[in-house]
Amino acid sequence: MTPDPATPPGTSPFPEGGALLTFPKGLVGFPNLTLFNLFEPKDSYPLKFLQSTETREVSFVCVDPACVKKDYDVPLGEEEAQALHLESPKDALILTMVVIPEDPRKMTTNLAGPLVINVKTRIGFQIVLNADKFPLRFPIIVQD
Amino acid sequence: MLVITRKPEQSIVIGGEVEVIVLGITKDGVRLGIKAPRSVQVHRREVFEAIAEENRAATAAKGPIQDAAALLRATQVRKPHVR
Repeated sequence: MTPDPATPPGTSPFPEGGALLTFPKGLVGFPNLTLFNLFEPKDSYPLKFLQSTETREVSFVCVDPACVKKDYDVPLGEEEAQALHLESPKDALILTMVVIPEDPRKMTTNLAGPLVINVKTRIGFQIVLNADKFPLRFPIIVQD
Repeated sequence: MLVITRKPEQSIVIGGEVEVIVLGITKDGVRLGIKAPRSVQVHRREVFEAIAEENRAATAAKGPIQDAAALLRATQVRKPHVR
């Protein structure tokens, strides 16, 4: 079956109005922001917003990295796996941050700092990976 | 800040389970060996700074993201595989 790129897969584990997520340790560089609403604005698939509910002006653009790099896997450390209380890999939602410059064709996503979220507990952490192996600025758009 | 002088092959122990050993000193830098339990993450500071910088940049979407999303859908969105 050929996937239709224009159609969202419709398997989002979260309701349309968004989901309230807790990042107990905050995000890297934003240690004090722990509560976020994750939602997908109209016509924005596959991009999503992670909106701080504590500081309204802070929201991050992110994406399911499976949409941009099929073979991306996050090597979870013991500490992180324990903190996330993941019972099954299916319970993990992975997102990566997206940087949209003025020319959106140069969009990149950060594969070295993925967000790993337990969809059951809605608790997440930003994981720090080896930046030698995982690019900080992975180009999303394949240039012909 | 605690400042300690160490010679090559000498070490310091942090919290009883992390050991930082000076392996060698050259004109280019100091080589350190770190012994820590697997549960303790060790990263160069620059990695954290780089990720913080990318996070900051991800907050600064210029204009509506719908345009970028449409571009993305048109060019190469792949269906997320089932994990």
